[in-house]
Amino acid sequence: MKIDLANPAWQQTLPPARSLAADAPVAACAFNRDGSTVAFALGDGQVRRLPADIAAPAPDAAPPVHSGVVLALVGDPTGDGFVSGGDDGRVLRIAADGSATELLAQKGKWIEHLVTHRTTGAVAASAGKTMFLFRDGEVREFGPHPSTVAGLDFSKDGSRVACAHYGGITVWSLSKDVALPPRRFAWQGSHVALRWSTDGKFIATGTQENDIHVWRVAQATDMRMQGYPAKVKSLSWTADARFLYTSSQPVFTAWPFSGKGPEGKPPLQFGDEGAGLMTVVAAHPAAEFVAGGYDSGELQLGDIRTKRSVVLKMADGASITCLAWSPDGFKLAVGNDRGDLLTVDLRR
Amino acid sequence: MAQPQVPVTVLTGYLGAGKTTLLNRILSEQHGKKYAVIVNEFGELGVDNDLVVNADEEVFEMNNGCICCTVRGDLIRIIEGLMKRKDKFDGILVETTGLADPGPVAQTFFTDEDVKAKTRLDAIVTVIDAKHFFGQLEQGSEAEQQVAFADVILLNKTDLVSADELAKVEDRIRGINRYARIFHTQKSQIELEAILDKGAFDLGRILEFEPDFLHSGHDHHHEDEVRSLSITADRPVDPDKFQKWMGALLQIKGADIFRSKGILAIDGAPRRYVYQGVHMMMDSAWGTPWKDGETRSSKLVFIGRNLDGDNLQRGFEDCLK
Repeated sequence: MKIDLANPAWQQTLPPARSLAADAPVAACAFNRDGSTVAFALGDGQVRRLPADIAAPAPDAAPPVHSGVVLALVGDPTGDGFVSGGDDGRVLRIAADGSATELLAQKGKWIEHLVTHRTTGAVAASAGKTMFLFRDGEVREFGPHPSTVAGLDFSKDGSRVACAHYGGITVWSLSKDVALPPRRFAWQGSHVALRWSTDGKFIATGTQENDIHVWRVAQATDMRMQGYPAKVKSLSWTADARFLYTSSQPVFTAWPFSGKGPEGKPPLQFGDEGAGLMTVVAAHPAAEFVAGGYDSGELQLGDIRTKRSVVLKMADGASITCLAWSPDGFKLAVGNDRGDLLTVDLRR
Repeated sequence: MAQPQVPVTVLTGYLGAGKTTLLNRILSEQHGKKYAVIVNEFGELGVDNDLVVNADEEVFEMNNGCICCTVRGDLIRIIEGLMKRKDKFDGILVETTGLADPGPVAQTFFTDEDVKAKTRLDAIVTVIDAKHFFGQLEQGSEAEQQVAFADVILLNKTDLVSADELAKVEDRIRGINRYARIFHTQKSQIELEAILDKGAFDLGRILEFEPDFLHSGHDHHHEDEVRSLSITADRPVDPDKFQKWMGALLQIKGADIFRSKGILAIDGAPRRYVYQGVHMMMDSAWGTPWKDGETRSSKLVFIGRNLDGDNLQRGFEDCLK
């Protein structure tokens, strides 16, 4: 089965979807490891879990697991559940049956970012200026960083974690056998988002000054891309690492990283203007598709080969806050600041 | 969805001036409103409230070549996080540390688009310990800056000084900032309406808020002292000339000008032109229309250090028709 945007059905009707209303903004969404369950992190402390099959009956809302806002949510790389972080300073492992186990409690700190590494089963969380690593039942602490960690990501092989902060980024080696000092890549200003490229060669950040900054990890050289009207808080590398998608433009915006890289070249731009400013962008986990959510509520699916795009959801005034692809790449989870929990099925 | 912007009140003042007492009152009193409070010392507040957020003041320089352009990075993150809550609130209070310069907090609301979209800076409230103010002025520039930035001043602990001492403190405060509203308080006792939801940064309410705004005048001070002054003109303003002059002035003197605001009678324009600035940052808009027969006069206010009143007056006069 494949997604074919040339199919006229895309132009005529919206794809099948399930939309449920929660009464708190959605901060994050994710699928679990096998793609059977989708979950949404809510502003009332709930992690709302739903079957990924949009035709299956949706269970009732579960009681809140965090005492404030659930700020971060990822699929558990070691099980069938999820891992969540909240502004109550806790990191929770939520099993498939909904039971929660506390992995970390940092009173007074917010758990704003969580990332996972699929093959090593590691989870990394930021809590204030510190990065915490959870792996094989063990918790390790890295930091403090010069300021609150505003973004983090694993390297391709899971051996390192990069953290964004004021003044640049810090790359930690996670090896317990060889204690390597952290590497600091400096660039003035505050870095507010971070994504390590899927081939491990580049680390990209969004900055407070509405720029993108990218480092070549091996050479420690860097580049800067400007021209955004807002901070770029969503970055997404394609599965083949040939492109870096960035939010905060009216259309899909992809910087080419194959060959000599993006220096001196304009980004590839495609898609329909008029939907507002893109708030979240998520490259497909395998193919050359990309999903983009807008501040107007519109959701688009793009294909970089044909530069074609289709609308998956109409604008409704509620800004899209999160997007997640199912592992098989046929479903898309979408959340917004009004509390709509949307799951789109792209098979048609 | 256009949601109303949440008003943010910035609470400054030296250590021990009475900020925590005031915050405790706001959090514990029955006033039917809900406030989120961003504090810098967790646990200092006696009230257990899930709307109290701990912040490490993270002052970030913007990497844009402007040296005085600093923002509070922690505030940008926290405001974004607060907006994800299910329960909305009527306002946000930001407590700064005793030695904080209010500049970065204020500039955050001029600079960051996400913060601007969801919140608005309402007023800067400074709590002053009447007994220790003169001593604090000598310890560094912070106490002076906190007064200079203020829209509202709580002259607190008035019970600990004589009437004579109090008058001297108030004189000194007026010397720095003639435009702030001063309340005498003991144990930070004040009606919350006096300090919350004031609209001091609301361009449409500039006239309403400033008690002294329509009286101009020059006081004589030492050059390096922080003071406030105003300039008026009855002839219409040439907008291009004004923009050029003000742009250059803020470029050169922005670090010394803490706050500036103005109402301009632009040549040929039916409405007032109003602006408000913090250091080099500025917001402006068209205000209310001039009435028939009303005297169309312009007025600028500056609060800052090393202000040369005569020079500013001459510069402004060159912008007139």
